[in-house]
Amino acid sequence: MSKINNRSKNIGEFIPQSDDDLIICRCEEISKGEIRRAVHEGMFTMTEMRRYLRTGMGLCQGQTCGKLVKNIIAREQGISPLELEAAGSRAPMRPIEMKILGNEKRIGE
Amino acid sequence: MKRYDVIVVGAGPAGLSAAIEAAKRGLKVVVFDENAKPGGQLFKQIHKFFGSKEHKAKIRGFNIGEQLLKEANDIGVEVLLNAIVMGLFLDKEVTVKIGEEIVHYKGDAVIVATGASENMVTFNGWTLPGVMGAGAAQTMMNLHNVKPGHKVLMLGSGNVGLVVSYQLMQAGCQVVALVDAAPKIGGYGVHAAKVARCGVPFYLSHTIIKAEGKEFVTGVTIAEVDRQWQIIRGTEKHLDVDTICLAVGLSPMSQLLKMAGCEMQENPEKGGLVPICDKFGQTSIKGIFVAGDVSGIEEASSAMIEGRISGVAAAYELGFIEGKEVEEQTEELEKALLSLRQGMFSPGNRGKDLAKTEEDYDLSQNLLKSGYLTDEEVLKYPGVKKMKGIHPVIECSQNIPCNPCQDACPKKCIKIGEKITALPVVDESVSCTGCGMCVAACSGQAIFLINDDLDESYASITLPYEFLPLPQRGMKGIALDRSGKEVCSAEVIEIKSSSVFDHTNLLTIKVPKDMGMTARFFKQVQEVG
Amino acid sequence: MGNSVDVVIIGSGIIGNATAYYLAKKGCSVLVLEKSHSIGDGGSSRNGGGVRQSGRDKRELPLAMYGIKNLWPTLSEELDMDVEYYQEGNLRLGKTDAHLKVLENLTINATQCGLDVKMITGEEARQICPYLTDEVMGASWCPTDGHANPMLATLAYYRKARQMGVTFITGEDVVEIKKIKGKARQVITTNNSYEGETIILAAGYESRKIAATMGIDIPMNKALLEVLVTEAQPPMFYQMLGTAAADFYGHQSKHGSFVFGGSSGYEAFNKDDGTPTTSSITASCICRGIMKYFPILADAKIVRTWAGWMDVCADQVPVISFVEEVPGLILACAFSGHGFGIAPTVGKLLSEMVSDGRPSLDLSAFHYGRFKAKI
Repeated sequence: MSKINNRSKNIGEFIPQSDDDLIICRCEEISKGEIRRAVHEGMFTMTEMRRYLRTGMGLCQGQTCGKLVKNIIAREQGISPLELEAAGSRAPMRPIEMKILGNEKRIGE
Repeated sequence: MKRYDVIVVGAGPAGLSAAIEAAKRGLKVVVFDENAKPGGQLFKQIHKFFGSKEHKAKIRGFNIGEQLLKEANDIGVEVLLNAIVMGLFLDKEVTVKIGEEIVHYKGDAVIVATGASENMVTFNGWTLPGVMGAGAAQTMMNLHNVKPGHKVLMLGSGNVGLVVSYQLMQAGCQVVALVDAAPKIGGYGVHAAKVARCGVPFYLSHTIIKAEGKEFVTGVTIAEVDRQWQIIRGTEKHLDVDTICLAVGLSPMSQLLKMAGCEMQENPEKGGLVPICDKFGQTSIKGIFVAGDVSGIEEASSAMIEGRISGVAAAYELGFIEGKEVEEQTEELEKALLSLRQGMFSPGNRGKDLAKTEEDYDLSQNLLKSGYLTDEEVLKYPGVKKMKGIHPVIECSQNIPCNPCQDACPKKCIKIGEKITALPVVDESVSCTGCGMCVAACSGQAIFLINDDLDESYASITLPYEFLPLPQRGMKGIALDRSGKEVCSAEVIEIKSSSVFDHTNLLTIKVPKDMGMTARFFKQVQEVG
Repeated sequence: MGNSVDVVIIGSGIIGNATAYYLAKKGCSVLVLEKSHSIGDGGSSRNGGGVRQSGRDKRELPLAMYGIKNLWPTLSEELDMDVEYYQEGNLRLGKTDAHLKVLENLTINATQCGLDVKMITGEEARQICPYLTDEVMGASWCPTDGHANPMLATLAYYRKARQMGVTFITGEDVVEIKKIKGKARQVITTNNSYEGETIILAAGYESRKIAATMGIDIPMNKALLEVLVTEAQPPMFYQMLGTAAADFYGHQSKHGSFVFGGSSGYEAFNKDDGTPTTSSITASCICRGIMKYFPILADAKIVRTWAGWMDVCADQVPVISFVEEVPGLILACAFSGHGFGIAPTVGKLLSEMVSDGRPSLDLSAFHYGRFKAKI
């Protein structure tokens, strides 16, 4: 059950901060400022942020930056990170070559 | 498709323990692990574990790993290494990358024991080479025999930060500082004491402002923070380091469970996103269990017990044991788990500012702030008694579940009792033979043999020593006090190593007579010329 | 809320968001309600990104052609955000005579509607895309087709519409539409109720049960498709790809990663846990399909798979229509897996239906009442 979230709610203006160029998502090289700005452009959830900026779409699939991004999104909206839904998780758990993923085996067949 | 009674994901302490319990009851078990070596975090842990005998106290982590592995192999558990579980699908099916193939398996039960990953904290320069997780540094040193760097700043004073700091020094690195934004040390006092007496300064209520360097870390600036985590101007300090280790917590690697559709919960006390599960570790999906750090960050000792519980529960689910048996067998395990979750660092005490031990002794605030007991404070604890001749001095001042010292003394002069969190008491009526078993047995390296009456001029101190090269008899050096300050000259009388001490060497030094209760570490003097 | 708006849109996929934008441009007050926690969490963010005319049902062709001619080329500029639209053509590949026959038929149908698509030889195909295997015998080639980033396009419409004053509320699950004195006006969610002069139902497969509360049925099924994405590769080619055998479709994105969609053949039967669930066999099947045509990608690492439902209409084309017997209700759903490419056009047409009472293109083929028995 998702919480009701009116995207026109007032979260204040985007105010530049001194550490806006700090890299947060290392795989995709996305900065804190980009994430903060994106919240003000309407990206309120981890899922929207991921699709909008690619945070968490790199090789580590958000394992390194996940908590960091969540905290930034939450802080920008003035809410607790606990109120944000987790991003999804999918196969493959580790990057895998196409030729291996296509090379299926079932034992006994 | 190949169907197992139980598929275990992860061959760490929880996974192997689960596999063993299930296999013991006749289930066909397979364990998949993505690493080349099994044992999970255990193989990096070179320190002796705490707890009691049933928790494998006094044994070094990697030995526990070897024991588990042997037990698993002996009982016929299949352990597949370099086998990466790629997905947990409907119908309890997993796909596993093995070599150049992706293999499908199904389990009547699946136990996910994938552990946790390290948290990151950001600061200016955090992406420079030289900034790494403390766990990563530990893997480098203890698995790959690679020194992570030369001069290290450790960020984080929980047990991971404290233990890895000590191991960095054992590997020959210099730990320049141990920094934490919190006002007090988060890990065990004895772990902090080991580090402090080597001369490592603790900077509590400090944070990293900037890691300097262009291509890699060449230095770091830290500063003090106030209660609102704001930087206090003018407190900036620059330190020369080439490595910054981050020990800022762990997060469960629960992606497989999320993918499988288990009901999840964001739980800060458990470290992050965990599946909701019952006391047996069964998630909202029947037949899918969790054990170990993936279900909530704790430590290897609890992971092993949780693993065992879920192994027994899976056996019951699949009809290998009856209802009465699962209750009985898990009851013992629950008790063992509970006894680990007692004491000063128990979940119930989290966030509390305790002032006294359970026995009503004052908790040392200096230990919490700076990592060492003061000369005055140490005298108050029941493990510290003034006795004639050689006698043990146990500088254990916090209630943690741990009791190997009790069984170590052949004369039974150390008493803890039923409640393993109790502070050890030295019985003055028993005369000490100076065998040193207690010194070697203490996982916290908090026991010393002191003889204030060695002769008219000197006292002797036998201390636990785990650094190479070992000092030789007759070697002259400097004694450091609990804070790491050089206090007097010292000479090595004896160095004792024995297999029964399990690599904790007993170093006996002689120091000026009145230094018996002050000197606590030995530093070799550098030869000049 | 509680106030009445001009238009309540149910569903924040690309159809809903595009419509909201075009309506806002016309000065309408708009409210968009979304069940999920995130905007565009359905098919809009999960598809393969094709912006194509070729391979479409004849009925859809005018919509597709209009969009590619008038809307897609300037969309990034108009929405002030890069939707990564590439117009580098569409290659639909064939390896056997049977494949080529299929492609030829599709091509003939399309040229009859004025589309610039033609059959080319394997050699010609390899000249356009040198990474193709030598086994490709031929292809249909449509130079004006292309692709875009579906996640960005969906969010771009949302972002711009929100900027222009459209209210978006997520976490609102619509359970019923209610008539007030003969006209559909009220939208009831589990927690609230809203009112609009016009209600546009653009909620993908969920539209069916919502429409049922108005006594309207849209005959559609769900089919679960999957997509996989590789890590970034050096830039290779930017044509939209497909095959006659329907093994896979996809493209290389601006980021460099390849995005490929496909199915195992069981998409109409795949079970799920209530969410778009990936199956254990589909991604592997898609990989084998891709490697048959692009052996060079065999070593490319897959970093993620995901799934999404197609809302498949009984006759494979959407329902985009006034519902005359329910005044105030407009349906825009059942896009059957090819809604993305025509979404800007459909959004614009829906806005015209609201403001002008009629769309500027003929939508009679998509009328809700077209479903008649076979005899």
